[in-house]
Amino acid sequence: MSMIPVLVKREFTSRVKGASYVVTTVIGVLVFVALSFLPPIVERFSQSMAPGHIDLVLYEQPGESSIFPYLEEVSTLREGFTVRSSSGLSEQEAYRMVLDEGLSGLLLVDGPLYTLVTTDGTNMMLNGEIENILNQAVSRGNAARLGLSAEDMASLFSKVDLRVREVSPLGEDGEELDSVAQAQAMVLAYFLLFMIYMALIMYGNMVASGVAEEKSSRIMEVMVSTVKPMELMLGKIIGVGSLGLLQFFIWIGTGFLMNTMGSSRILGQVLGAGGAVSTIPLETVLWFGLYFILGYFFYASIFAAAGALVSRVEEVSQVVTIIMMLIMVGFFAAYASFLNPNSTWRSLPR
Amino acid sequence: MSLVADEITKRFRDVTAVDRLSFTVQEGSLFGFLGPNGAGKTTTMRVILDIIRPDEGKVTWQGQTFHRLGRGFFGYLPEERGLYPKMRVAEHLEFLGRIHGLDRRKAQAETERWIDRFEIGELSQKRIEELSKGNQQKVQTIGTMLHDPELLILDEPFSGLDPVNTALLKEVLLEAHKRGRTIIFSSHRMDQVEEICKDIVLIDQGRSVLHGNLRQIKKSMGRQILRIALEGKEDFWARIPGLEPVASRSDYQEFRLGDGVDPNDVLHAAMQAGQVIRFELVEPSLDQIFVEKVGARV
Repeated sequence: MSMIPVLVKREFTSRVKGASYVVTTVIGVLVFVALSFLPPIVERFSQSMAPGHIDLVLYEQPGESSIFPYLEEVSTLREGFTVRSSSGLSEQEAYRMVLDEGLSGLLLVDGPLYTLVTTDGTNMMLNGEIENILNQAVSRGNAARLGLSAEDMASLFSKVDLRVREVSPLGEDGEELDSVAQAQAMVLAYFLLFMIYMALIMYGNMVASGVAEEKSSRIMEVMVSTVKPMELMLGKIIGVGSLGLLQFFIWIGTGFLMNTMGSSRILGQVLGAGGAVSTIPLETVLWFGLYFILGYFFYASIFAAAGALVSRVEEVSQVVTIIMMLIMVGFFAAYASFLNPNSTWRSLPR
Repeated sequence: MSLVADEITKRFRDVTAVDRLSFTVQEGSLFGFLGPNGAGKTTTMRVILDIIRPDEGKVTWQGQTFHRLGRGFFGYLPEERGLYPKMRVAEHLEFLGRIHGLDRRKAQAETERWIDRFEIGELSQKRIEELSKGNQQKVQTIGTMLHDPELLILDEPFSGLDPVNTALLKEVLLEAHKRGRTIIFSSHRMDQVEEICKDIVLIDQGRSVLHGNLRQIKKSMGRQILRIALEGKEDFWARIPGLEPVASRSDYQEFRLGDGVDPNDVLHAAMQAGQVIRFELVEPSLDQIFVEKVGARV
């Protein structure tokens, strides 16, 4: 009769009520809840940061071809942007006008040199916005000089969306993906990779310190006199693993709940499914489960071995650091293989 | 029908902890495993339990090697006590019962029974870490015996227990002995060993120094100890050659008889020195045997 179920049960029940487990679970839940409220908050902040009105006075050196008509053209397209010419005023008088009327700034144009004179010089949003507007106006000016129409301009800057259809050597037709779908697939893979990475470090550490605790509290001696060491290790790894799974279920469950309740649909977006989590292919989920379990067992055994090397819990962190590096190497290797999943070194393990 | 340790040797790097040690423990006996600190007692126990393997030799039970025996066969109380500090007492005992092969029902029933027996009912829902050292030891001792193992190996089971609990544990051990269980235990307290054990092995530096039935061992040592109490000149013995004082107590003095000293001569001298209250020729105590066998080296 195997003792593994008894050991797993002990491992699970004695930890699940522990303060550290409860606290990390609750913090994780709070993080997921906070995440789902984050987008609206960020949106509100970025709105308050964006410059509402941009009102410029243009001061040009006489004799140059004026950019003013093109700026005016842009102002008709862009809401909240006005521009007026300082014709007839000196530079000093023009700036006085900006100050008196509380405008955004004075734009000095001297050949290819554009200078913004303003009291709000550190406002990056304003500066960027004005640069943006200027670029539009200058492009329009250049187009007009070259005799291009607006349509010509549009076609000049049009971009291609490369669609990819993977076909197997046997001629089997694959799915056709556009660039958005590709990016989403990658984000999903990255998210899952990160979950594995996190789980390995969190629960691997738990396994290592559990082993060290058994050694330091001397219960190990009683245990090995009746239980096979292999059973002892498997009991610990499975016990901690099921704790981890429970924690992940709670977190992801919170995410789903917030996703269906809230308007933000952050989880769906993060997972690259455009708001609908159900569009993640089942196959991906199953592969994830398999690799999660294999990876967990592999690394957890190494963590257990590390825990057995030391005799006190305080020393665990020293040996565990090495394994963390190993996991990090794996993490970066996985990350690198995103770029070309069929590269030689990625396919080596096959 | 016994446990046989046959020429077991265990080395740790260049230290030989156990050196060609042989002894036999009869099935159903209460066996004292004695030796000074660092003699190799714990190592030998670990070898018996198959926690570590000997470099040479083997331990057998009725001719069988030990790892063939079932889970519930052993009960082991290590010298360095250890329990899971976060678990509750009843929960922990149940767990120990289960890993020793009891089913859940039986484990629960036995836990209850032993908690009653050791009168720790009010502690049963406390965490191990909240208990005193002595109570932790009680819990662990129960954990060793909960499944009524065939072979109990107890390393210093009495250390740290108060007299009440020492008596309780002795009682429990004697009960197990009556049920035919084999019990091996080590102790520094020779009086306890003398009280309980019939057979002993005394080891020193990993080797067996004395081995066998305690009574026979004592007999073979000879009646060489003299206890005298008298009112009068208590220093009369100084005039008798070959009489060596061993211990001086308030109620009597103890001497070792040298070779060729006739106890009758001593009695004669004592009577001349005063009123003899006590004159007794006794076997050496285990304490004295221990000191003689091991102390000679020190």
